[in-house]
Amino acid sequence: MPGDVDANQIGQTADSALILIVDDLRSSRSMIASILNAAGFPNHLFASDGVEALAILEREPVEMVILDIVMPNKDGFDVCREVRQRLRLNVPILIQTALQDADERASAFDAGASDVISKPIHPHEIASRVRLHLERRRMLDRLQRYQRRMDDELQAAEAMQISLLKSDEDVAAIASPRGADLWTFYKASNRLGGDLWQVFEIDETRFGLFMVDLSGHGVAAAINAFRVHMLTDALSRHRSRPASFLAAVNDYLCQMLPVEHFATAFYGVVDPSVGKMDYAIAGAPAPIVLQASGGWQALEGSGLILGCAPKTDYEAYEVDLERGDRVLCYSDGLYENFERPELSLEPADIARLACELLPVERGPGFLPALIERLFEGPDAQSQDDLTLLFLEVRGHG
Amino acid sequence: MEYRIEARRDRLIVSISGVITFDDHEAFRQIVSEIAGSDPSMVELSLAGTKMIDSAGIGMLLLAKDKADKSGKALILSGVTGHVAKVVELSKIDQLIKIV
Repeated sequence: MPGDVDANQIGQTADSALILIVDDLRSSRSMIASILNAAGFPNHLFASDGVEALAILEREPVEMVILDIVMPNKDGFDVCREVRQRLRLNVPILIQTALQDADERASAFDAGASDVISKPIHPHEIASRVRLHLERRRMLDRLQRYQRRMDDELQAAEAMQISLLKSDEDVAAIASPRGADLWTFYKASNRLGGDLWQVFEIDETRFGLFMVDLSGHGVAAAINAFRVHMLTDALSRHRSRPASFLAAVNDYLCQMLPVEHFATAFYGVVDPSVGKMDYAIAGAPAPIVLQASGGWQALEGSGLILGCAPKTDYEAYEVDLERGDRVLCYSDGLYENFERPELSLEPADIARLACELLPVERGPGFLPALIERLFEGPDAQSQDDLTLLFLEVRGHG
Repeated sequence: MEYRIEARRDRLIVSISGVITFDDHEAFRQIVSEIAGSDPSMVELSLAGTKMIDSAGIGMLLLAKDKADKSGKALILSGVTGHVAKVVELSKIDQLIKIV
């Protein structure tokens, strides 16, 4: 019978997979071994009962198990369960059984078997199934290895991206001496994101607030965010004038980005000493001013998205900021809901919610409270990258 | 996103319904290649049935416009309402693509 399967007929070289054959009958073990030999699997280990099988599985790199059910000491079902639950191995287990009962076969799968074959054993069948399960296992292993590697790489890239953003202390060191408090929030929808915020020192009384959202998400958007970060470092001479700052970023992005990519941005230069913010907008949602008096307004102004038309002029706007006024800048991840469009928010919804929260939560607690309310949890499970900046004007000097 | 292409004598009308997001990249590339290969010199993207559009979707409109320009066709957007109208208003892409 072993001669039924011919390695030449299958036309391949020997597979070095280590296969454990578990059967209480010596004759059955040697029959299976010779079938496997003939099919091109020459590498075997043997066990005559469940206890012995488990001992081997604990110390040997077994890639495939062919397991009998009815054995002394520990039967095949128990071996299966222990392999999966105690040893936590995902090695394929092929159970051979003389039992024809469908329930019995189902309980083999419940115990953790990968497949069931009937006795008497058919050489071609057992060889084909061994080959199939080995291939499947190896493919899964490859995928898992690949996924682990990608995860590691993404994690490293994510850490790099987060390191672009200033720490709370660095932000406070810029805003605080200039008469303002500033809090920030950033979260990528899927590890890497296309949002970026920056805070620039300008002079003794002024600082710049920059928020940019590169189109798309994920790796491509993140690479573009890195480029913008480098770019804005090089544009320090434009930092005191928002409109020319955005115009300069636009000119660079026009050269840098492919036609279907673009960015939206807000740039504001805050001067608490004179109670004023100069700003320009390129396709970004207009920040909301929450007035000390209790009212609110969305900042006026708009401008073409960045990276599409070279030499675009951006308009310069300004707004008065009184002592106690607050400014909320946010990316579109805050209000757009693509899974449930009817739940998308309007600026008025955000402003109303912010006004409700302010008497309760101000300062560092405000953004977390806002996110908690909008996303029904602290994690901001947004489908898009999410960035928020929250500025409080403390006053003049 | 779903779309339907209708070739009239004077123009190609591409009607897009549903939500245009990053996930529709492949389908949109198909639209773009049909635009480039079509006969009429006018292409109308009808967004009357489009509920929402994300930034990647706006990017696809820009790509369609670019391909239309390069193949010597005029591209216009029609049926811009609701969320799409808000995104257009915010992004000012009406400065780049004609909207009727």
